[in-house]
Amino acid sequence: MGRKLLTENINVPGIQSLSVYRQQGGYETLKKALGMTSDAIVEEVKKSGLRGRGGAGFPTGMKWSFLAKPEGVPRHLVCNADESEPGTFKDRYMMERIPHLLIEGMAIGSFALGAHSSYIYIRGEMMYVFHILQRAIDEAYEAGLLGKNIMGSGYDFDLYVHCGAGAYICGEETALIESLEGKRGNPRIKPPFPAIKGLWERPTVVNNVESIMAVVPIIKMGGDEYAKIGIGKSTGTKLISACGHINKPGVYEIELGVPVEEFIYSDEYCGGIRNGKELKAVVAGGSSVPVLPKDLILKLANGEPRLMSYESLSEGGFATGTMLGSGGFIVMDEDTSIVKNLWTFTRFYHHESCGQCSPCREGTGWMEKLLHKILDGHGTLSDVDLLWEIQSKIEGKTICPLGDAAAWPVASAIRHFRHEFEEYVKNPQNIKKDHHYYRVNNISPEFA
Amino acid sequence: MASTAYINDINYTIQDGETILSFVRRNLGKELVPTLCDAPNLDPFGSCRVCSVDVALVKDGPAKSQASCHTPVIPNSYIYTHSDRIVKLRKNIIELVLTDHPLDCLTCEVNNNCELQSVAAKVGVRNVRYPEGKNHLDRKKDLSHPYMTSDFSKCINCFRCVRACDEVQGEFVLTMAGRGFDSHIVKSYNNSFFESDCVSCGACAQACPTSAISDVFESKSIVADKKVRTVCTYCGVGCNLEVSVLNGKVKSIQAPYNAEVNQGHTCLKGRFAFSFYNHPDRIRTPLIRRNGNLEPATWDEAYDFIADKLTEIRQKYGPDSIAGISSARCTNEENYLMQKFIRAVIGTNNIDCCARVCHSPTALGMQKAFGTGAATNSIEDLKYTDCILVIGANPTDAHPVTGAKLKQHALKGKTTIVVDPRRTELAKFATYHLQLKPGTNVALLNMMLYYIITEKLEAKEFISNRTEGFDDFCSHILKLDMVEMEKITGVDKELVRKAAIAYATAPNAMSFHGLGVTEHTQGTFTVMLISDLAMITGNIGRKGVGVNPLRGQNNVQGAADMGCQPHQGAGYMNAYDPEINKLYEDYYKRSIPLGKGLKIPEMFDASIAGELKALWLMGEDVVQTDPNTNKVIAAMDNLELLVVQELFLTETAKYATVILPGASFLEKSGTYTNGERRIQKVQNAVDPLPGTKSDGEIMVDIMNRMGYAQEPYDPETMLKEISGIVPFFKGVTWNNLGDNGKQWPVREDGTDTEILHTESFTRGLAKFHYFDFKESAEIEKNGKEYPYIITTNRELEHYNSGTMTRRTGNVKILTEDVLMIHPDDAARHLINDGDMVCVESERGKVDIKAKITDEVKEGILSTTFHFPEVMLNIITSDEHDSEALCPEYKVVAVNIRKSKGQYKVKQ
Repeated sequence: MGRKLLTENINVPGIQSLSVYRQQGGYETLKKALGMTSDAIVEEVKKSGLRGRGGAGFPTGMKWSFLAKPEGVPRHLVCNADESEPGTFKDRYMMERIPHLLIEGMAIGSFALGAHSSYIYIRGEMMYVFHILQRAIDEAYEAGLLGKNIMGSGYDFDLYVHCGAGAYICGEETALIESLEGKRGNPRIKPPFPAIKGLWERPTVVNNVESIMAVVPIIKMGGDEYAKIGIGKSTGTKLISACGHINKPGVYEIELGVPVEEFIYSDEYCGGIRNGKELKAVVAGGSSVPVLPKDLILKLANGEPRLMSYESLSEGGFATGTMLGSGGFIVMDEDTSIVKNLWTFTRFYHHESCGQCSPCREGTGWMEKLLHKILDGHGTLSDVDLLWEIQSKIEGKTICPLGDAAAWPVASAIRHFRHEFEEYVKNPQNIKKDHHYYRVNNISPEFA
Repeated sequence: MASTAYINDINYTIQDGETILSFVRRNLGKELVPTLCDAPNLDPFGSCRVCSVDVALVKDGPAKSQASCHTPVIPNSYIYTHSDRIVKLRKNIIELVLTDHPLDCLTCEVNNNCELQSVAAKVGVRNVRYPEGKNHLDRKKDLSHPYMTSDFSKCINCFRCVRACDEVQGEFVLTMAGRGFDSHIVKSYNNSFFESDCVSCGACAQACPTSAISDVFESKSIVADKKVRTVCTYCGVGCNLEVSVLNGKVKSIQAPYNAEVNQGHTCLKGRFAFSFYNHPDRIRTPLIRRNGNLEPATWDEAYDFIADKLTEIRQKYGPDSIAGISSARCTNEENYLMQKFIRAVIGTNNIDCCARVCHSPTALGMQKAFGTGAATNSIEDLKYTDCILVIGANPTDAHPVTGAKLKQHALKGKTTIVVDPRRTELAKFATYHLQLKPGTNVALLNMMLYYIITEKLEAKEFISNRTEGFDDFCSHILKLDMVEMEKITGVDKELVRKAAIAYATAPNAMSFHGLGVTEHTQGTFTVMLISDLAMITGNIGRKGVGVNPLRGQNNVQGAADMGCQPHQGAGYMNAYDPEINKLYEDYYKRSIPLGKGLKIPEMFDASIAGELKALWLMGEDVVQTDPNTNKVIAAMDNLELLVVQELFLTETAKYATVILPGASFLEKSGTYTNGERRIQKVQNAVDPLPGTKSDGEIMVDIMNRMGYAQEPYDPETMLKEISGIVPFFKGVTWNNLGDNGKQWPVREDGTDTEILHTESFTRGLAKFHYFDFKESAEIEKNGKEYPYIITTNRELEHYNSGTMTRRTGNVKILTEDVLMIHPDDAARHLINDGDMVCVESERGKVDIKAKITDEVKEGILSTTFHFPEVMLNIITSDEHDSEALCPEYKVVAVNIRKSKGQYKVKQ
């Protein structure tokens, strides 16, 4: 059994409430942190080796140390709870079950950064989680854990939850900031980076829910101790939301470094492929990361087992590797159509592109249209080439990473499963048309 | 060592903070890297990605594509503008954009002037590989507005219009709605242009790279025989305009991006309100009053008639029975000729101009404080200032381009203090709005000065080195009772204190003022107190500070510079000084009078008293615009000769003995001097309408006709003559003015002056003055019987008496004058929105339609005099500024009642 740092108490009845959370030692770490200097907290986080859990994996301690601290200008910590990546649902799970862990983490982080007002930006669709958080915040205010002079430390700290309006783009940190300011959620051009000019042009750190929660055990046990868990530069534990054709979908806290094979097949985690089927492919870190076929996801190119860690999953670059990403682990069995699955992803990015950059605005639309055409049985080989070309003109060519996120699934599907596309193009009569496809397209099977 | 980087393997020096795009364009020209979402007057945005280039850290090393428009240059990096993959990328982007753009170029209004078209041509898209799919080509056109049009089927989502609306105009009308492929431009709450809050500045149309947003004049089409650069004739901002002419007619107007004054921006008056120039109402032949009727005559007949009549009057009653009123709407050259005609040919100092009724207190007050009656700084300085103080001005309506810049300052959260009885557009965004009772400027400024002294925020070093009279001034101010001042002004003294502290502690603070300062009985005093504020805080003589009057008319500055006032000749030299007189006599080669001349209000009195017999008006509508209309009409009626040079049969022209049809700014050449002392070239786009002559030509003709040999009118020779006598024009020639003009004083070698008083003041030391608040006689006399105060203002869409703007599409946007009235006052008199209200003063009554608004405080009313249907000046008073005789338009004691509208003037 791996160590559980975030989910240790998740099944304690009533852990949502402040009283039970405190009975389990909640807010003791905040008390400890308030007795430390802010520099010392940042130092512990640096030592822990914690890397951003939102997807990019940037070292959190380093991000904190980049924060500009001009005289007389307020700073902010913003929690990115706009979890919308298809396949990823770990933040929601944590917030709905153990909201005070996030609040405690926000208080510690804000204290370390010298922020006196901070924000949790939560995805609009998670309205009920918003209420859970708000209730928890109200409790914390009443108990003097938020507000003026928290825990008698002399530190004033206000925490707000802000609801998004249902846009994936607002998970991008600068679009999130724009949205938090009340504007249309379009990404900003960088520089300036949020650490210099973020929310209301003030220095701002934006962190993922899990990253902020992880600060609590780090301060509790010390950065060095935390760094002992995991493997290499992938320290600590990571929440993985596993879904797809597995026996036990759900959120798992793993020690980084667990072999992928063990994660998929062991009973502690996914419990193997549903209905005794064969594994076909895995999208390891949320819909944006490259899909890998069975042989590449289980083993590295050199035959060694692939591990659940930042380094191991990206071993081999995009030619043979993928990314840990946000931990949205999507497993596909042998019956899955890669093309159809890709079309679902692409439809999502088409719908969610903000429309600012022309390659993404137009390109995501055309990728979906071309996939649609292929699935409708009208595709040609040149359409597959065109798909490849469009994705290559989106990747790295847009203001924000949504463009990359839209391009990578297409690139990897063609890279590893080109034969499947060719089959669709050459033998359109064999394309299976399932119910879902027709419903989404508002067409009835007989007219297809 | 300056850092460098390579463009296509050739080394160039980087300038600080440069983006890759500006680096490439500075070194290799504008054309090398194509762009779509970039525009000269907008911040980098990075949405089209067409400007992408490859950037490598070593020669031919691994490269990353970067959008050049917003990426800073990395020193020693290698920039490749046309690598294979970049060329392909650009092609693919344009190809994608074209999948949702109609390919109807041949019938499109911007054919051959479309940025999408030229970029597509440049990147070489030959076919579109994408199969037909859903698109937005069926979007409907919006033709609801008199000027603005949109056809969003042509939109390429570059956000340029949205950014122009936000960053240039600050109106936030346009926005992007929907996302991704569904992104689309929306006006206000998804309205049409006409229903939206659009102020018709046209910035979006000019910014749009296609014809998605355009205007009814098709300004972006290339159909034009020529383009002429000139200067706008409306307000004192002095926007440069580029006039497109087709078949001898003005087709459209755009704002040049390289204009220092307006950087590609202008307002709906400058851009669209030009169709008055060939309106059927234009007078096209001289008219002479015979048997009570104005009858057509030839120019010779008219000149003979006038010359005979003037000679007769001069012989009979002496030269002082003749007077001239010049026009701040006409060129410097024309104003110079007018005063020269009156002084050298007629032989009297009875010369004045409409600066009298607007900024005469500014000229006088600033002369007394600093020695020069002109803006100390330039509008450009807004970039360097930390705090603006705007007093008695509504620049977003009256000086829209400067107003937009001031609004941008406020929108950026920089300190903005507005002193105004109305909650103007700028006041809504201000840090402090001191909403004082009209006519109490002096009391309010005294409060600010008091708090600066009591808070010990005065700039001691500046005061001791560069000013005089401070100690006296200080002891006077400190005697004031703030509680009493608070009562007079109606503004919380704590708020005033905070504003005073904000102004005094800002590293650089700039003040702006308008007619809400000058058109009062204490106008000149107020200007001197504003000068005191600048002096006491040391905010004068460097970038980002100063006292900056917002001039009402295009050439108010110039008309006064040219000597169109009785006491000062061309170049502000004392007309009553015998020594200086000799200088003028030598130059004009005639004897020049020394006797005191009449100012405009004095002319009316003299006419009514029978002492003034002849009056020459150059484009001045005194009946509609001067206060107390009935008195002005009586003055006109009493004259033996009233000559009016005009474009239209104005209210004043109806009383003329002779009307001479003048030419509009589009038909003449010369120079205007804007509010920041910038002398700019006005160049004729079209010839004067048949039968009309430019005002300069008319002046020259009549001077010759009356025996004075004046060379034919030509701006070049005229400027030569002017620069020979006006000291601060010394280095001005027609040719060296260039596109952007020069700010006077211009030295002999042609160098001009952006900031005045940098080393020393024109009068040596600047002087502090102190004045007590004094209630206007209008209120003292009539305040009891007429308890409301009406203050006049101006609307964006119309200009002054509206003779020009009412003859353009603007009249469809703003159709009438309205009376702003506070909801409580309206309720008290049972007045509903849109009801007619009878506004009555001691002088008379008018009916105006009510507009209920909390922009005015209780007890205060406000309206405009753009429309002759109302003739608001029937009720305005005879009170004037005690020093400069500027009429007090801003404080009129009135009473109101609901009416049926019978006092509306029948047209």
